[in-house]
Amino acid sequence: MYNLLMKELRLGVSPWFYALPFVTGALMLIPGWVYFVVTLYVCMITIPNIFAGYKSQNDLMFTNMLPVSKKDIVKSKVGIIVFLELLHVIVAVVFGAVSLALYPNIEYIFFKPTAGFWGLTLIMLGIFNVCFIPMHYKTAYKYGSASIVSIAAAFLFAAGAEWLGISNAFVRDLFKGSGADDWGIQLSVLLAGALVFAALTIIAYRAACKRFKKVEI
Amino acid sequence: MIMLDVKNVSKKFEHFQLDNVSFQVPQGYIMGFIGINGAGKTTTIKSILNLITVDSGEIQIMGKNVAIHEAELKQSIGYAFGNVDFYTRSRIRTLTKVVKTFYDNWDDEAYRRYVRKFKLIEDKRIAELSTGMKVKYSLAIALSHGAKLLILDEPTSGLDPAARDDLLDIFRELVQDGEISILFSTHITSDLEKCADYITYIHEGRIVGSAEKDEFIDTYRLVNGKVEELEGIKERLISHRVNSFGFTGLIRADELPPSAAVNVAIPNLEEIMVYYSKKEAAHV
Repeated sequence: MYNLLMKELRLGVSPWFYALPFVTGALMLIPGWVYFVVTLYVCMITIPNIFAGYKSQNDLMFTNMLPVSKKDIVKSKVGIIVFLELLHVIVAVVFGAVSLALYPNIEYIFFKPTAGFWGLTLIMLGIFNVCFIPMHYKTAYKYGSASIVSIAAAFLFAAGAEWLGISNAFVRDLFKGSGADDWGIQLSVLLAGALVFAALTIIAYRAACKRFKKVEI
Repeated sequence: MIMLDVKNVSKKFEHFQLDNVSFQVPQGYIMGFIGINGAGKTTTIKSILNLITVDSGEIQIMGKNVAIHEAELKQSIGYAFGNVDFYTRSRIRTLTKVVKTFYDNWDDEAYRRYVRKFKLIEDKRIAELSTGMKVKYSLAIALSHGAKLLILDEPTSGLDPAARDDLLDIFRELVQDGEISILFSTHITSDLEKCADYITYIHEGRIVGSAEKDEFIDTYRLVNGKVEELEGIKERLISHRVNSFGFTGLIRADELPPSAAVNVAIPNLEEIMVYYSKKEAAHV
């Protein structure tokens, strides 16, 4: 499994995609922006491009010729997706903290980069995974429709959450009002978000394994 | 010992099917796997490598079922696909660094030896290699992880005659000590005349024959005679062609009527393949 992950890191992922989180993360410094967009870039740019690379480099056949199980192949691909998503989130969290320090008195229309917001971000990425990974493994090489559907689903979640954060008093208070400074609430939302992300990703992995078994290469 | 045993493999696709495909590759020999384009060579090879699941039948390598022991058996299989490229923008050095981590018996010294022998330049990208060099690189990888069965799908297609001859010499050399076996699919039959020990001929997804090369060729006869003689033998011919001098046709040796007044010759592999494909055309 380790060798498969190293294979992805060395061959599958262009070095640019290790730098991209720092470029997109810096967008957290725009005061009061729609911060969901920052991590949506991993869904919109990084993952579709990596899977386009897999397709053009014949990775499906190359990897299947190696002495590894089909399950491990899926696991390594899911692993690399999760790694890149978390890299984007962690870098964005750091830039988010800088942003909070830079603009302490700003009034947020969209979500403030609190711990709870990062929980919501993880749910958004979990939704992306649960759509993209099983859809891709229907053929194990097509990524276009899987990208469109999964990006749309993640986007709808983000838009819905932002809308609630503006129109619903409870949610607004939780993320931008008194709840924003309550670490107990914020960490609970973060933890819940992490659990949802993990659960959705595991569901995606299992569904992908089942589909990949049936794929004729 | 039987290195590869394909037993009654069937697989149905929308427009094509493998029908009860069976053949065996003994250890230490080269099996030429021939057939025209679309006959089912690559599909059979994909079944052997478990890249497609078969509807029925079984494939064993060194006595173990491929479908069950896939990862374990792939440690002992080397492959070269003449028409498929992987990671063409990567350098040989980078690709080898990645690939070698997957094999338990990787031998760095052997790899260095083959890189020198095949004159591979490790700084080159895969896209910069000639077709022959790509096959040699695949062989260097396969031989460095101690592959016992080499599966070569059209490895000589697109090569110039000198490069083909060079590769065929390498294949012969590899099987010399009796350890390595090669399944070599091609439609360039002259390559097999030079280097194969056994021949398996596939046509429209069915195995027409699988035997030792001379025995396989000896199963058939090429007959020619005057057009008037055609009627008497026509039904027994696999197929035939008529020209102003008379007719030429392919017939199974055991179907040859002893009293027929025709000239009889031993065909070559290409003629067997061509007349079989004419049979297909005649049925359309």
